[in-house]
Amino acid sequence: MLPCYVSANAFHWILLMTEHMFPRILVAATASYLLVGVAAAQTLPRAQDGRPNLQGIWMAVDRAAYDLEDHPARHDMPAGRSVVDDVAIPYQPWAAEQRQTNFENRATADPLASCFLPGVPRVMALEYPFHIFQTDEHVAITFEWQQVHRLVYIDTEPPRYAGVESWMGNSRGHWEDDVLVVTVTDQNDRTWLDAAGNFHSNAIHVVERYSLRDADTIDYEATIDDPQVFTRPWTLRLTLKRQTHLDRILEYQCQAEKEEANGDFERDERTWYPAPIPPENAPFNADAGAQLPLPATPSDVPRLADGSPDISGYFMADAGGANYGLEARESDNLTPPSRGQVVDPVDGALPYQAWARAERIDRELPHRGYDDPTAHCFLAGVPRSTYVPAPFYVLQPEGYIVLLHERMSWRHIFMDGRDSLPDQIRLWQGHSVGRWDGDTLVVESRNFNGKAWLNEVGDVVTHAQTVVETFTPIAPNQVIYRATVSDPIAYTRPWTIEMPLDRSDDELLEVACLEDNGDLQHLKDVRDEYRAGQNQGDRS
Amino acid sequence: MTRTLSAQIFMSLGLTLGAGSGLAHHSFSAEFDINSPVRLEGRVSEMRWANPHAWIYLDVEDEAGNVVNWALETRSANGLIRRGFRPGDLAAGTVLIVEAYQARNGTSTASLAKAILADGRTLFEGSPEPDESQ
Repeated sequence: MLPCYVSANAFHWILLMTEHMFPRILVAATASYLLVGVAAAQTLPRAQDGRPNLQGIWMAVDRAAYDLEDHPARHDMPAGRSVVDDVAIPYQPWAAEQRQTNFENRATADPLASCFLPGVPRVMALEYPFHIFQTDEHVAITFEWQQVHRLVYIDTEPPRYAGVESWMGNSRGHWEDDVLVVTVTDQNDRTWLDAAGNFHSNAIHVVERYSLRDADTIDYEATIDDPQVFTRPWTLRLTLKRQTHLDRILEYQCQAEKEEANGDFERDERTWYPAPIPPENAPFNADAGAQLPLPATPSDVPRLADGSPDISGYFMADAGGANYGLEARESDNLTPPSRGQVVDPVDGALPYQAWARAERIDRELPHRGYDDPTAHCFLAGVPRSTYVPAPFYVLQPEGYIVLLHERMSWRHIFMDGRDSLPDQIRLWQGHSVGRWDGDTLVVESRNFNGKAWLNEVGDVVTHAQTVVETFTPIAPNQVIYRATVSDPIAYTRPWTIEMPLDRSDDELLEVACLEDNGDLQHLKDVRDEYRAGQNQGDRS
Repeated sequence: MTRTLSAQIFMSLGLTLGAGSGLAHHSFSAEFDINSPVRLEGRVSEMRWANPHAWIYLDVEDEAGNVVNWALETRSANGLIRRGFRPGDLAAGTVLIVEAYQARNGTSTASLAKAILADGRTLFEGSPEPDESQ
């Protein structure tokens, strides 16, 4: 080691001598360095509006997800250097004690141990990739972790729902030259800043700065001001690297994985991948589906520069109770009615295989309510995500259609004609490829995991489903939505549902379902009591 | 200006809690029993503004004089917020008479169907839309 040390010192000495003796050389070198910097700025990927183009898949390379400050290796985290300016977070004395308590209890007290929403800036530091999408009016960030998303409104008025606290807060952005600046307000006090117990109050105010250093690097800063917890504002800095080896992010449903592992959410051998087609099934007639003519799109619907319809914005399905049955039904017990959404077959009845019809009827019994994945706050799947009674936001960034669902989840629809995923990769929301057929967006989805239900009464779908959805604008603020489901395990032929989607001037709120789920234990009690009765019956 | 139970909010906005509210992320008929209707009178101890369902907690005195805290499930916080309500609008201490359906597991939990204020107005009254936002 010693020779290296001497050598390094000697080199430093030579540099100093050089600077003293040949200042012009240094000036020239500095000038060339600056030129390189200018060149880098000129070669940054840029969007059509000239802004730096942040779109792509990114992940933090720092170990800030574990502990924002300098820390040694621990049994549950690797060592890492501080990402905080001035190294340490400037806690008030009481808060420093609280942080220590949090640290000692982190195995259970960390909100992420419960799969809760991470808040900002913690979500940016997680060791899961995220996808940034960029349009003139929005920047959306979708995260692999628990299907979280953020929607940043650019150059707009203050948040419509300012003052309404949420886990991820309200994000408003603007560009300062080449830097995207995002202000995050209205976060609640239930998130942490890392896995080591660093925390904040609901007075937290975050200003993020996203600066493209080069095509594959974002210098990310978050300045945190929280006078209830800290003695002064402070800044953390992360390096976000483009994940050039990834062409998409996948899903990590933290809570679902946990409940499947511990038995709280049980496998269904008839619907989950790779369930086979039951031998007793009637043949599946793939050609029986009707070729329904598409509605006409008037010329005055909003359009993008390339002429395709502009279907971006806030939407709510006029679903007519699809979440309570896709076949028409009256209000029953405490379940609301459904007007029926099935347009093919024309009789409005789903063309079930016998086993699946029996399963559908069984699922409506009280002891099966626990089995509905959405009762656990898991993802709704396709097409249910469209008609769960919650709004969604559509974005049309280059190469994609992105759906952000208020019930925290997202769908990426690839518009670049890419191949499907390998068969064994199975997703709650499936893999979706889209194209424009005239003025209709056509989306084909497959690679489902078969875990979703189609609604609360338990209309059945399995991993074998392929879904063809069409989104046809019929008025400036209305789209006719259809979904044709082909599932040879549960059905005898394809079937199609239809409903209008209404666009309005509104903003997404946040559904932090898992974080406040007061129902699941009740449903489990009903299920467990039923099973106990069954066991009693078996023994008697 | 206090917004707590202001006449403006509760008279201008048409809302109903409705049996089974139709807003669910889970089956109401699986969790609650329409054959177990309850009518309760008590004071609000807290309203929890949660999604997909908010909860009103009501202190109710039983026949033996014991105070039981009932959890009453209602619409989503987001649905109420979009109609102009805000956390804090339903103050602790507010007297309510409620009609609800008790949970099948027999706990002091119920699906809220109707809530009447001391002056006779109905909390969140109106016609439900077939699909509201939550």
